[in-house]
Amino acid sequence: MFIRSKARPFGRPLQTGTVRILLIGLYAFYPLGCILQLVAGGSVALGLAGVALVVAALAAFAVLAGSSLQRQTQEPESLLDEREREERNRASFQAHSVFSGIVLIGVLYMMLTADMAANGKLDLWRPTDGTHWNAIFGGLILLSFTLPGAVLAFGNAPAAEDPDQASG
Amino acid sequence: MIYNRLSVFRAERGLSRKDIAEAVGVNPQTIGYLERGDYAPSVELALKLAALFEVAVEQIFSLKPFAPLAHSLRDQES
Repeated sequence: MFIRSKARPFGRPLQTGTVRILLIGLYAFYPLGCILQLVAGGSVALGLAGVALVVAALAAFAVLAGSSLQRQTQEPESLLDEREREERNRASFQAHSVFSGIVLIGVLYMMLTADMAANGKLDLWRPTDGTHWNAIFGGLILLSFTLPGAVLAFGNAPAAEDPDQASG
Repeated sequence: MIYNRLSVFRAERGLSRKDIAEAVGVNPQTIGYLERGDYAPSVELALKLAALFEVAVEQIFSLKPFAPLAHSLRDQES
């Protein structure tokens, strides 16, 4: 998902450090906000704190969605040059491996917890209603949209100051 | 590792990275990556750059480091 603006058709150029901070915020705040809402029970303060963290995570995603890095990972091949295509293909492959691993761990966790609960051994938390599943799928969607960009942002050394880059 | 002296040719012609990028059909950032040696171009891109500067491709790109410009000038004088 890349949000293109008329003013910046190639996306907003962000420093690698800024992208990294936004990604860390997104990946930390979203699950933390969901967990806070889950454990809030009757506590309004905890519930609100959870909502605030999820909103902060979505705000970070909104900024990332309009960035030039996100453009590189989401644009059709015909609109990228050879370096951008090569980097994007490498990042997509690595992101696919990471995403598959995360989904596999989640599925294994749910299989084991369901099995243990059925045998009366250990009753660990597992998603039970629509809200839980929405939170999980929402997180997976955010992750799938941003993971290739995260591989690029954390895999590349920050680019040296380059006045010409701003025009790109 | 592919070495290049793209920045020397670019400075000599007084062109910006954006000018070169538009001439060869890439993102201006890619010219920056090339000049810093962070990206090795395809044969097609190397040939396009050589054609742009009207020189042989070996004069811009090399598998061995280029001699410093001052060194080359000193050799020419002697």
